[in-house]
Amino acid sequence: MEASIGRRSSPTQPKWRKVAYGGMQPGFQDNHTDESFLEDMIMNASVVKRDLLKVMLDSVSISQYVCIVALVVLVWTYTLRSSFNENSLMLLDIILLGAGFFVFQLTAEMLSFDLLLSYVLKIFFFITGVYFLSPIYHTLTRSISSDSIWALTASLLVLHLFLHNYSGSTVKAPGALENPTFTSNISLNASIVASLLIASRLPSRLHVFAIVLFSLQVCLFAPLVSYCIKKCSFRLHLCFSFGLMAATLFFVYRLHGLLFVLLSGILVFVNLLGPYWLIRIQEYKFEINGPWDEAKLCFNLTE
Amino acid sequence: MSKQEKHKILMVSDFFYPNFGGVESHIYYLSQCLIKLGHKVVVMTHAYQNRSGVRYMTGGLKVYYVPWKPFLMQNTLPTFYGTLPIIRTILIQEKISLVHGHQAFSTLCHEALMHARTMGYKVVFTDHSLYGFGDVESIHMNKVLQFTLADVTQAICVSHTSKENTVLRSGLPPEKVFVIPNAVDTAMFKPVPERLSNHEIVIVVISRLVYRKGADLLVEVIPKVCRLHPNVRFIIGGDGPKRVRLEEMREKHSLQDRVGMLGAVPHAKVQSVLITGHIFLNSSLTEAFCIAILEAASCGLLTVSTRVGGVPEVLPDDMVVLAEPDPNDMVQAITKAIHILPQIDPQEMHTRMKTLYSWHDVARRTEIVYDCALRCSSQNLLERLSRYLPCGAWAGKLFCLVMIIDFLFWRLLQLWQPDSNIEVVPDIHLTNHPRDKKSQDSNMYDHLR
Repeated sequence: MEASIGRRSSPTQPKWRKVAYGGMQPGFQDNHTDESFLEDMIMNASVVKRDLLKVMLDSVSISQYVCIVALVVLVWTYTLRSSFNENSLMLLDIILLGAGFFVFQLTAEMLSFDLLLSYVLKIFFFITGVYFLSPIYHTLTRSISSDSIWALTASLLVLHLFLHNYSGSTVKAPGALENPTFTSNISLNASIVASLLIASRLPSRLHVFAIVLFSLQVCLFAPLVSYCIKKCSFRLHLCFSFGLMAATLFFVYRLHGLLFVLLSGILVFVNLLGPYWLIRIQEYKFEINGPWDEAKLCFNLTE
Repeated sequence: MSKQEKHKILMVSDFFYPNFGGVESHIYYLSQCLIKLGHKVVVMTHAYQNRSGVRYMTGGLKVYYVPWKPFLMQNTLPTFYGTLPIIRTILIQEKISLVHGHQAFSTLCHEALMHARTMGYKVVFTDHSLYGFGDVESIHMNKVLQFTLADVTQAICVSHTSKENTVLRSGLPPEKVFVIPNAVDTAMFKPVPERLSNHEIVIVVISRLVYRKGADLLVEVIPKVCRLHPNVRFIIGGDGPKRVRLEEMREKHSLQDRVGMLGAVPHAKVQSVLITGHIFLNSSLTEAFCIAILEAASCGLLTVSTRVGGVPEVLPDDMVVLAEPDPNDMVQAITKAIHILPQIDPQEMHTRMKTLYSWHDVARRTEIVYDCALRCSSQNLLERLSRYLPCGAWAGKLFCLVMIIDFLFWRLLQLWQPDSNIEVVPDIHLTNHPRDKKSQDSNMYDHLR
């Protein structure tokens, strides 16, 4: 294999130029590698150096949502065991609706009477719709065995947690920056289907109505509420999250010891081990940019 | 130092005539010029519609249209070992000494190079495109390329930017990569004898109207230029998914009489469209080497292009005006081009292009690469396997496994159909008439007329 011929010391030797025209450059072979080779390469241009504490604080929103889902599953379990009756469930629904609305009011601008009326109207339509559909949900899965229902619900909930958009809100909150993504839609659908499956195992129509209302309230509005809290004040968000985690752990401990261990293991992993591992493997990141990259259009395509 | 030894080369790619494009014309012209230098060239590609079997082209170029249909974007279905029998037969029949594969995106090329290495032939690979590193398809493409280039004898790239990109993607040592650019058939792309009048300036755009070729930039640039310069007219040749956007732009700004859309222009008519213009506009977002610019310069047009990829290396600074891929920058570049247009002499530009680019020069430089490749030492299977292991923790072992199975399959074929049973094609020497200098370059379209 011929080695590349270096520059001779003769003064009439023309300099190597990075051009393609003019045939072979005199004095240089075609495989000559100049010192300017790869000098336009830029490495790791957009890689952000992450701080461990900040990542841990950001992961609190993930564990907060995991706790919310755990609480919902707790309510379902107690209802299926007939520990809750339908009146207490309806009370729970009303309390949640009021609390959520109160939190939303804290952070949103002053509501005009028109806006308030439109919200009340929409909620009224929503509740009426669920009430009239609850007979259908009551008999939806009568012919399916319970085992399939539990397995399907569990896998749907796992899918929901995996694909959930933890940084924003699925329902586009007023003032939110980006539109819902494709995966966040899938996660929302998974949670709704899971709640309908559970609701279909309940004894009476009123039970079904209360549980469906409760589950839909949480699925649709919990991300919005937590987004509003986070926007309002970060300390409030942290307090709310830690309070929620403590309450969840307490209730799960009362239910079953093994589940308590599992949940605390998940919370430790998400909050402590996860950020540490993420920052450890960041050092392997290798991003290459250079003149060979496809140019990015600097304007948005308006279709 | 001229080598008297003549080689027998097999060119392999999924992209060849009757399709038209950069890779196709590169293979064709390179083969023709190598034949003129006395070598024997055979081309292997897949079947196109009902064009299957062995065909002969100008100069005795034998083309094997192997009977597989393309299944995705002009590529044959990758079956790993399915192509081994036919490639072995072709290599033995034609007494090939060297295999030259083209284009990283061609599955037939990768398979042919893999089998050629298993059978002990020397292998050269030419890369014609640029790829990124971040998105999913680029990552997979780069892994496949790493596999093929782990054991290639020499590699050729069409521009210096392309060499940097290939070296980064495949991990080849830079000394193994030669830079040999494409060229243009200056006998076909001639300017008009009398200069066009300058009172109305015509800007020509000929490209596929897709995102990659910057059709969206055209949509932004054309109305701005038409507003700024009332005496400018556009001619757009080519078709594609973005044609609708260009038509909408025409309607929205009422530019029907100032922007002419020609639709798809067959390759034989490109020259007749180019000579109606003064300026050629190229707005691609990425380009390893832009042959369209060479064709335009050979026809005497001043080029305005985006500064991407290998484009800055293609033409000297006085024949091209470069701009960033931003609409305002491009409008400024077009304005500058209109101002320097009176100083441009098309005939002089054409004569200069004849000295800057020539397919015969490309063939001579490629011949040097072939000589270099054939001087390399042969290696047995174990030494070659050690080159695949560094490709990755899992990938290295997988690649070794693939090559071992290929080797075993080859031995099995040798037992079942021994080499001596394959009939060797006798060498046919077509008599070379001494041609006059003007018609030295053969034309792909001779047998179409």
